[in-house]
Amino acid sequence: MAQPVVQTIHRDPSLFYWILVPITVVMILTGILRHYAMILLQSAPKKQGVKDIRQTRSLMRGVNLRNNASVLTRPSFESRKNYLVPAYQDGTFLAEPEKRGQPRANPMSDPAAMEGMMGMMKNQVVMMVPQTLIMGWINAFFSGFVILKLPFPLTPQFKSMLQSGVGTRDLDVRWVSSLSFYFLCLFGLQPVYNFILGSNNSASQVSQQMAQMNPGAGITAMDPNQDPDKLFLSEAENLEVTELRSILEGIEGRILEQLR
Amino acid sequence: MSTELLNPSSSGRPETALRISQQAPDVLKRTAKTSLPFPLSVLFSSEKQETWVELENLLVACLRTGDDKSARLCLDRLTSRFGEQNERILALRGLYEEAIAQDGKAVNAILTTYYDNLLAEDPTNMPIRKRRIALLKSMSKTGDAIAGLVELLVTSPIDAESWAELADLYFSQNLFPQAIYCLEEVLLIVPNAWNMHARLGEVLFLSAESNSNARDAALKDLSNSLKRFCRSIELCDNYLRAFYGLKMVSSKLISLLEVETKTVSKDKTGELSVPDKATVESLNELATSKLVEILRKGSSGEHGWDGYEDAELVAIQALLDQTSQKVER
Repeated sequence: MAQPVVQTIHRDPSLFYWILVPITVVMILTGILRHYAMILLQSAPKKQGVKDIRQTRSLMRGVNLRNNASVLTRPSFESRKNYLVPAYQDGTFLAEPEKRGQPRANPMSDPAAMEGMMGMMKNQVVMMVPQTLIMGWINAFFSGFVILKLPFPLTPQFKSMLQSGVGTRDLDVRWVSSLSFYFLCLFGLQPVYNFILGSNNSASQVSQQMAQMNPGAGITAMDPNQDPDKLFLSEAENLEVTELRSILEGIEGRILEQLR
Repeated sequence: MSTELLNPSSSGRPETALRISQQAPDVLKRTAKTSLPFPLSVLFSSEKQETWVELENLLVACLRTGDDKSARLCLDRLTSRFGEQNERILALRGLYEEAIAQDGKAVNAILTTYYDNLLAEDPTNMPIRKRRIALLKSMSKTGDAIAGLVELLVTSPIDAESWAELADLYFSQNLFPQAIYCLEEVLLIVPNAWNMHARLGEVLFLSAESNSNARDAALKDLSNSLKRFCRSIELCDNYLRAFYGLKMVSSKLISLLEVETKTVSKDKTGELSVPDKATVESLNELATSKLVEILRKGSSGEHGWDGYEDAELVAIQALLDQTSQKVER
């Protein structure tokens, strides 16, 4: 049986010193730079006024009452319900009661919302600019170089991933081109940043993009784009239909059964 | 590293605080600023969150034990890290100033100049608001403290800590219905806190004691109290206070139910029913046997049962002696 021919390419050792090492070092340094740039650009979260805090937390109180109503006896639940439901319906807790019923202002004209969008834009720029620059740099100086050989065989499907920039059809997949090495670094350096900068760094752009993809991951008590009055009204309705089943009902029997 | 330092020390016993504050020189030395020269410090900034938690707890422990110098060092470290304007730092600084104040006048000055000014600048500064209320409480201006807390709770009605504090203040003024309301609010936020269930049971019990003339109301409060203690036991099997309370309440209820055998029917408002006498009696027996077990195992220091304090065990002993005397008579 014929053994597959092992391709041997004699690489100049200076390829290692002048391409592989510089790309790696530059990538790591860019990550660190990005981390500090993000810290610099981060604006402190806007302080909520007393009334905004009251609005959010009063709504949470209603949610708590609905979820944990079972710890109460009936009279105490009723008294709370009778207080909260009319208050919600009348908009007692609203931060801006005079704006009740008016349609929400266009987010574009609201300076606070604009600020948030600007912050997002800034992050995007910090992410995109270095990435573009480095890719351009690699393309200009190192395109077409084969700089390392993987120690394990791979199927031909990896060819496009590992040999971008090298248009040789018969080259073994194990050879990696400089541009592909850049991509490997881009996606694989997170542990290195974790080691250097601590675990919650903002050096890697991959994790940033992940976070942007599902913004619902962080639990927000109140979406700023929603009308608080509507939220209060729907919560009032929820409270109205809440059925109380007190956990204290028949507890003596449960205890006696459990511990006897 | 000791884990003791990472837990909030304010709730600990005095011995714990003393032990922590004795570690002060070591901790201060260990956490001393060892920053690398500039280019390396950019590359390798290893800052642990635990460091700052430790320093804060150490600060509180030092203040408790009177080691003001170490406290000052901790405060300086924290300030240099987080800046003068950080809310928490401001509160800690207030705490320090209170501790080194010489007399009542100085404390009053802190209240009016430091805290009130800060709050005028930023009324959303919760740590400072709480600190101010705590100071009012320790100056025994209970009325002002209650007013401050009510105002705080209007802004932030989902703060369990404040509700619990308000309940305590009302309780100290014998305003039982208000205290009960506050404790119920606490339970709405943390529904499985067994200590709060037991506490509510205690307040209900005392409320029943206070209006023992109105039999129906007392009966209602007592049966509610009984249920609260039961719930507390359901959540935590070996909770001493709940068993103690259960025993007290059930003895009281038995005597009340004996006076009048007329069964109290479930009334129209749909309130919880008063348990019948047999159930209460068996609950009483249960509590007694559990208390005896705790007393036996706790005082012999059996493994897993050594968390009870001596004072608590003595109290059980006293309660058990008292009831057994009654039986003999």
